[in-house]
Amino acid sequence: MSERGGPTRRSDSLADVVEMLLDKGVVINADIAVSVGDTELLGVQLRAALASFETAAEYGLEFPDGTDMRRVEAASDRTPVEELDDERDEPVINESGSWLSEPPITSDESESDDHAKPPSQPGVGARPRVGERSDVETDENEDGDDGDDEPDETGEGSDDED
Amino acid sequence: MSESANEFETGRYLYCVVTVDDETTTGEELARTGVDDEPVYLVVEDDLGAVVHACDALYDAADPDVVRKWLLDHQATIDAAGERFGTPLPFQFDTILTGDDDRVREWLTEESATLTPHLDALADHWEYRVEVSRDDAVLDEDLTADDDRLAELADRIESAGEGTAHLLETQYEQRLDELRHERQAERTRELAERLEPHASEVRELSPERSTTLDDDTNDDDAGGATTQARASVLAHESDEEVIGDVLDEVAAESGVEVRFTGPWPPYTFAPTFDE
Repeated sequence: MSERGGPTRRSDSLADVVEMLLDKGVVINADIAVSVGDTELLGVQLRAALASFETAAEYGLEFPDGTDMRRVEAASDRTPVEELDDERDEPVINESGSWLSEPPITSDESESDDHAKPPSQPGVGARPRVGERSDVETDENEDGDDGDDEPDETGEGSDDED
Repeated sequence: MSESANEFETGRYLYCVVTVDDETTTGEELARTGVDDEPVYLVVEDDLGAVVHACDALYDAADPDVVRKWLLDHQATIDAAGERFGTPLPFQFDTILTGDDDRVREWLTEESATLTPHLDALADHWEYRVEVSRDDAVLDEDLTADDDRLAELADRIESAGEGTAHLLETQYEQRLDELRHERQAERTRELAERLEPHASEVRELSPERSTTLDDDTNDDDAGGATTQARASVLAHESDEEVIGDVLDEVAAESGVEVRFTGPWPPYTFAPTFDE
């Protein structure tokens, strides 16, 4: 290392900055828009690929002959597993990218009623993120928002139905 | 900023939350501008301050240079806040609260029971990133020297015909690859163990970055070295030097290079709000 003892922050620290800022930090799920197209895609593409390995393995799909399973396993270990658990039915995995599988502009599934009103502009709909699926009453669909092609009736057919 | 539909009437881009002193009031500006040169100021509620700028759209760009600039602006703004108020709770890039300053204040009140303990726990603590890489040639030499299976394969390759040798070489490469992965896991554990006595918390990171920005060529690859271990360390600022010393020991091994960056705001150790 170039400077004994102390840490550095030189130009080559940009990689750290990118990783931390796109991946870490305080993350808020409700009443907030956290979304950027291409910026996050850069990180998400990789995670999506890893998740598809895991999902495939989970459902017993076979990998092509010659696939090095150790690599696949090593790869899926690297993804934060707890994030994957909640997302079985979605192709996109991670908390910072769940909106990417869908148009970023929907206001459905916005969060529960005890926290402020749902965003009034479609553009700022909070994408529900990991963990929400289980404990949030979704869809009041009060004003039939556009961008939502599922004809679900209020309350019925929502995610929480068992 | 794109002219996409990701727009709203009023929003506040959040950089971080800090513990403020009595003199700080809402509207106090930070000495530097933030993302996209927006003026940055504080929204204060009790002893919590949110560092924000006013915005009406998400930050989105296809040009990596623009994104890179934004990220650095975001980081520099949090740095400035940290210098002024001590360890901040940093937000992920492009976290926007829709609404005005009053809404930010409401949010601070709603979340003060979570924010305050985190800020207290993190006071004077910073995140440090450690990356240990190893010269490929030295590493492979080590791995081959220690492994019977590789030795056996090497012997057989020498005495085999061309076709068989090719197959055996493939096996050899696979075995080597497996050993490399094992070694990485081992190294990461070792690194974490060495750092733990001097840190509040150590998180092992995958040797490969989860996020890259465009064609960032990996310096390590260019230098013929492979990352062996990465860790994120939360440590009191007074322990920075001790950690540096530990890392000097790690770096003393032949073919080993250590990158030690920081102090960063505690991104990795910031809370998640599930509402």
